[in-house]
Amino acid sequence: MEIKTRNEGTRLTISVSGRVDTVTAPELEAGLKFGDAECVVIDLADVPYMSSAGLRLLLTAHKTMLARGGELQIAGVQPSVKEVLDITGFSGILNLV
Amino acid sequence: MTFAASKFKSFLPAATFAMAAEFLMGMSDSVICGHILGETGLSAVNLMQGVFEIVTFAGMMVTVGTSVFFATELGAMHLRRARGYFTLGCLSSVAAGLLAAAVLAIVRAPVIAAFGASPEVSAMTSSYWLWFLPAAVLQPVAFFLGTMCYTDGDAKLSFYSYIAQLVGNCALSIPLTMSFGAAGCAAGTGLGSLLAVVVLLFHFRRKGCMLGFSRHFLLSDLLRMARTSFGDGSKNLGKATLMFALNVYVISHFGSEMLPVLAVAVMTIGISEIFDGVANAAQPLASVYIGEKNVVLTKRVMRIAVLTALVEGCGAMMLLMACPDVMLSLAGVNDPVILPEGRLAVRLVSLSLPGLALVLLFNSYYVFIKREILSTVLTLSAVLVAPLALFTAGGALCGVHGFWFALGVAPCAALVAVSLYLLFREGRARFPFILPEDREKSLRVFDLALDPVEICAASAAVEAHLREKGVEERRAAKAALLVEEALMVVRDHNSGRRILAEVTADTGNGLSLVLRDDGEIFDITDADAQVSSLRCYLVSNLMTEIPNRRNITTTGFNRNIFKL
Repeated sequence: MEIKTRNEGTRLTISVSGRVDTVTAPELEAGLKFGDAECVVIDLADVPYMSSAGLRLLLTAHKTMLARGGELQIAGVQPSVKEVLDITGFSGILNLV
Repeated sequence: MTFAASKFKSFLPAATFAMAAEFLMGMSDSVICGHILGETGLSAVNLMQGVFEIVTFAGMMVTVGTSVFFATELGAMHLRRARGYFTLGCLSSVAAGLLAAAVLAIVRAPVIAAFGASPEVSAMTSSYWLWFLPAAVLQPVAFFLGTMCYTDGDAKLSFYSYIAQLVGNCALSIPLTMSFGAAGCAAGTGLGSLLAVVVLLFHFRRKGCMLGFSRHFLLSDLLRMARTSFGDGSKNLGKATLMFALNVYVISHFGSEMLPVLAVAVMTIGISEIFDGVANAAQPLASVYIGEKNVVLTKRVMRIAVLTALVEGCGAMMLLMACPDVMLSLAGVNDPVILPEGRLAVRLVSLSLPGLALVLLFNSYYVFIKREILSTVLTLSAVLVAPLALFTAGGALCGVHGFWFALGVAPCAALVAVSLYLLFREGRARFPFILPEDREKSLRVFDLALDPVEICAASAAVEAHLREKGVEERRAAKAALLVEEALMVVRDHNSGRRILAEVTADTGNGLSLVLRDDGEIFDITDADAQVSSLRCYLVSNLMTEIPNRRNITTTGFNRNIFKL
């Protein structure tokens, strides 16, 4: 898994590539550092697969950003990952762009 | 170690001990009579060997078919049909026992007269035979229930029942023989069988017992069961015929004084019964894999079984070559005049053991795959036709030494002949398992221990395999998700234990996944299961998304089938 971050003022973009599963999720968790960003975009365009371990991180990130009055956007979701979000009802909770 | 190898290994000791107990049971009466009543007693019980085989045949005719169809129907997730077979088998085992006892009662006097043995031996055989009739009714029932408990995954209880039968038989037969002679020995055998039936009834109190009664059977099922059973049971019928022929031949050509040596040779060949434990260990797994049309796993489990059979057969042969006196001491033969001949006989007939180990395994295997005629031909060639032809020729050409040698090489000769025929007829690619080759291309099996790294690797491998097979990305990802989440839930359910699992991805007819694990029995496919984590929530929702799913406990392990 590869994680790249790009800071644009108060906007932080975190680009993830590779499978997000039980084994790789801790790597992603370590990479999800938001600093003072008011808007965080997690770009999943290169994530073909995500299991519940990844969903838990997205939900935690969403709650963290809400608690500090910020916003979390999930971008570039692939159909296979979108299906997981739909099955769990997360697509209605998370801000997919 | 793979899931299949691990399950086979877990079944093997109980199956082998069960067959060893059965061998000891068959041998125990010879040993008891030999030691208490002398060589006349040993010869008298040896004349009964054919009768023992007929009673075993009666039990086999019901049990093998029921066990195969029960496991196959469970494999296809048809529980009520499986129970229908069990019900029919129960009724038939009682009927088979009664029928065997009735036939044996009728033919007792003419058969004993036909042997032409000495008056002392004939009188003792007649007395034993009469008191053996209750055992003839009970043994098919005990054998049936024992095999069905085993097929249902209760290998321990099945094993305990054999121990109860063996210990009960010995504990009762010894004092009864001392008091009442050969008749007492036979009565003890019947009481031992009754004890085994009582022990086996405890299986019905076990959690996860899939045996039960159902009216979902047809009388035509009985014919199917009998046809399937005949392949496996034919070996006992063949052995019964051979035993009668051997006794008559030895008495007429070498005299009644050679009967104790023949008894020891027959006991040596009888060791091969223990090797049937290999087929019994493979049967619960192989039948389920065959029911799923999973040729990859069927071959895998059978290859392990072939190797095991060879090791057992060659090991026993080498042991007996080195120490033939073990068999002579067991039988209570200590006459210095016949000891040298006895040693030579044991050494020569022990040559048959590796061949018999393979013959018995393939005899059962061809029954599993519904090639009953092939099974029957192989078995009858190895246990009847080849020995009969070769011992007649060997005895005529080289006397008694040629006779023992012919008995030793006959099974191997038959095995080679049948193998050559199969190679010629089926081709090298299909030999010796004779399974459809096209199924192999659509199947892929992944073995793993349930730890996160292996689970995620299997999930990724399933996805990559399905993409390679042209399955669209979303379905492949869903299959991978199912593998990871379901197996992680199984792992969480068995925290602290090492669990082995097996995932089969089948693209042959649509897309299906089979997940097997040897963890605690529970139903992963239950969409209404209690949700205690995000993972459980996802699995529960996934189950709602996959309406075509089944969970069934199969021979003591979890099996889940999903059609995606």
